[in-house]
Amino acid sequence: MTPVQTPAAAALPAEGPAGPGPGRGGAAKGRSGPGARRRARRENLAGYLFMSPWIAGFALLTAGPMIASLYFAFTDYNLFDAPRWVGLKNFTDMFADPRWRHSVDVTLWYVVVGTPLKLAAALGVALLLNQKRRGQGFYRAAFYAPSLIGASVSIAIVWRAIFSDDAIVDRAQRSLFGMDVGGWIGDPDWIVYSLIALTMWQFGAPMVIFLAGLKQVPRELYEAAEVDGAGTWRRFWNITLPMISPVLFFNVLLETIHSFQIFGSAYILGGQAGGTCGPADATLVYTCYLYVQGFENSRMGFASAMAWMLLLAVGLVTAVLFWSQKRWVHYEEAAR
Amino acid sequence: MRTNGTGTQGSVDRRSLLKLAGGSMAALGLTAAGCGGGSGSDGGTVTIRYAWWGSDDRAKRINQTIELFEKKYPKIKVKTDFQPYLDFWKKFNTQASGGNPPDVFQNAIGFLRKYDAKNVLLDLSEQVKAGNLRMDGFRAGLDTFGEVDGKLLGVPVGSNSMALVIDEKVFDKAGITPKPGWTWNEFHAALDKIRDTQGRAGDSGMYGVMYLYDLYLRQHGKAFFTPKGLGFTESDLTDWWTKALQGVRAGTYSDPKKVSQVKPKAALSAGLSACEFTWDNFTIRYTSEGKSEYGLAPIPTTDGKKTGQYLGSLMLSASKRTKHPKEVAQFIDFMVHDPEVAKIMGYDRGVPATTAQYEAFKPTDPVNQKIAAYEQQLVDSGVLEQITPHPAGADIAEAAFLRIAEEMALGKSSVAEAVQQFFSESKTALGS
Repeated sequence: MTPVQTPAAAALPAEGPAGPGPGRGGAAKGRSGPGARRRARRENLAGYLFMSPWIAGFALLTAGPMIASLYFAFTDYNLFDAPRWVGLKNFTDMFADPRWRHSVDVTLWYVVVGTPLKLAAALGVALLLNQKRRGQGFYRAAFYAPSLIGASVSIAIVWRAIFSDDAIVDRAQRSLFGMDVGGWIGDPDWIVYSLIALTMWQFGAPMVIFLAGLKQVPRELYEAAEVDGAGTWRRFWNITLPMISPVLFFNVLLETIHSFQIFGSAYILGGQAGGTCGPADATLVYTCYLYVQGFENSRMGFASAMAWMLLLAVGLVTAVLFWSQKRWVHYEEAAR
Repeated sequence: MRTNGTGTQGSVDRRSLLKLAGGSMAALGLTAAGCGGGSGSDGGTVTIRYAWWGSDDRAKRINQTIELFEKKYPKIKVKTDFQPYLDFWKKFNTQASGGNPPDVFQNAIGFLRKYDAKNVLLDLSEQVKAGNLRMDGFRAGLDTFGEVDGKLLGVPVGSNSMALVIDEKVFDKAGITPKPGWTWNEFHAALDKIRDTQGRAGDSGMYGVMYLYDLYLRQHGKAFFTPKGLGFTESDLTDWWTKALQGVRAGTYSDPKKVSQVKPKAALSAGLSACEFTWDNFTIRYTSEGKSEYGLAPIPTTDGKKTGQYLGSLMLSASKRTKHPKEVAQFIDFMVHDPEVAKIMGYDRGVPATTAQYEAFKPTDPVNQKIAAYEQQLVDSGVLEQITPHPAGADIAEAAFLRIAEEMALGKSSVAEAVQQFFSESKTALGS
C-alpha cells in the first residue's frame, strides 16, 4: 500500500473497501444454479446474524437517538414533560446567549492553538524516532503510551493535581521564572494552557501515522538532495513535508474533528462546581456547555440544538479542509 | 480449533456457531430482564431504595442508622446509594425522568416545587393520617417546613441557619467582638480594620452567596425568590454587585483568583479571609480544614434588629411512584424520631429537627456546642422568620448567581453585563 491510498481510505471509512459484506454478493459471484443461490442466501443470512449485534446497537444506540435529537432540537424538552414544538427558538436563543458564544470562543481557541501544537509535537517526535538507532521500538512504545491513558478520567485528575496551587508546576514556575501564578488550575487565564498541554501529551496516535508516512519517503530523494547540497532544514521543507502531506492532511483532519469534540479532560480539569467549567468558565468548551444545559439545567431541546450546530460546524470545517488540500497536499500522481 | 471434532482445521462448523450466536443472544436477553428488577417485595420482605448526597463520613453514619432500622423492621430492607451534591441531582433527575427514582431520598427546599411540578414527590400527609408518620414533636415550627400548597412533600431531619463564620483568633487580635444587631456599616468598618491590621482580607466575598443576599433583601422587605420568580430588581442587584466590586478592588474581600485557586478548600479555612457567610454547620468542616479556631457571629442588620434569618433544613422525601408508601413513611418516621439515630448522626445534617432527637444528642466538643448555642440564641431572640418558598428552577438560578458573581469579581464581565446575564438566565430557569 502506498501512502497515497492510506489517508483517503482511512478518512472515509464508509467508502473504503468494506470487505466481503453481506449483500455485496461476494460469495455468490461466479456461481449459478438454484442450489448455489439458496446457499448464497443462507450465507447472507448468517452474515446478517453475525452483524446483528452491531446493527441492533447502531439502530438503538446511534441512529435512533440521532433522529430523536434532531426532533428535540426544535422542541422545548425537560425530560419530564412531553417535548413541545418551538421551531427555531433554540437556535435563536443560542445565538443570543453570551455563555454559548463564550463556549464557542473557548473551543475555537482550543482547536486553533491546541491542534497545531499537538501535531507539531507528533511530527517532531516521529522525525526523531524515524532515525536508525538502537532501541527505537522501545521509544516508540514509550511515546505512544500516554495516548492510551491520556484521555482517561484518572489522568485528568492527576493533571489537575500537577497544575494546582503549590504543586510541582507552580513551584517550578516560581523558582525558575519567579512568576507566582498560584497554580494554573485556579487561574482563568492559565487553565486553558494546562488543558492544551494535556492534549499535546497525547500525541501518540498522529505520531504513529506520521512515522508510517515518513517510512514511505524514498531514500533516493534525500540522497539526491544531499548531492545537490541541501541542508537538513531544506530537505525537511522541500522533501519530507511535501512527501508526507497526505498523511499530514489526514492528521490535521482527524485531530481538528477530535478537538472540537473534547469533553472529558476539560470537564474534569475544570472541576465540576455548580454548573461551571473551570474558574470563570475558562474551560467551558462547547460540549461541556452542552452537557450543562442538557443534564444540569434539563434543557434537552437546547442541548440537542447545540449538538446539531456542532455537527454542522465540524462538517463545514471538514469541507473547507478538503477543499484546501488542492493547494498543499501533494499526492504522488500529481508530483510525477 | 482441532479439539472441535465436527469442524475442519481453522474453521468451525456453521451450525455450531449459529447455535453459539443464538445462545449468546438469549443470554443477552436474560441479562436485560435481570436488570429490570429494582425495588420489590419478596416473601413478605420489602426492599426500599434510599439515596442521599454527602461525604463518606455521612455515609458511614447513615449506614449505621439503617442497621438499626432493619433490626427494628426486619421485613424492610434498605438499599442505599449516595453521591456528592451535584452528581446526586444529575442522577436523580435522570432516574426520575425515566420513572425510576429512589423510594426515599434526601431533599432540600430549592427542589420541592421543582419536583412537585414534575409530579415526582409523594404527598406524605396520607401516611400521617394513617399513623405511619408522626409530624409532632418538631422544634421551632419545622413541621411545616416541607409543606407546599397544603401538601407534605418533605420531612425535616435537621435545621441549620445562615451565619457569619469567623476566624476567632484574627477577630481577637483585631479587637473586634461582633454583637447581635450590629449593622452593615459596623461590619464593613470591622472588615477594613482587619485588612489594615491583620494583613488579610476581611471577608471571603459574600456577593455570590444567594442565601446571604436573600437575608439582605429580607431586611429591606424583599426576598430573593417569590413563589413564581425573582423578588428583586436589576437595580437592586446592580447596587449589590457594584459595592461588591469596590470591596474586591479595595482588598476588603479576598482576591477572587486566590479564592478559586484554593478550592475545594474554603477561603476562610485557607487563611485568605477572617470571616465568611455560610451555613452554621459548616463550622465543623472549616475546623477540620483550617489551622485556626472558628466561631459563629450574628448576621449584620440594616435597622439594628432584623437579620432576616430563618431555619433551613435538609429533608427526607418520598417519590410518588414508590410501591411501598407505608414502609417509606415508617422509615422516615424512624429516622427523624428515634433517639439512637440522633446519637449516631450528631449534627451532620444540622441540629436535629425533633425535640426527641435534639434531647438525645448533647454535643461535647466546643464546635458543635457553639452551633447549638447559636441556633438556640436565634430561637430565643425571636429573630427567626419563615423561609420564602423557592420556585421551580431555583437551584439553577442559585448556581448562576454564584457563577456570574465570580466572573464579575474576576473582571471577566462588567457589573452591568453580569446583572443582565443573571436576569436572562434566571428567566429561562424559572420558566416564568
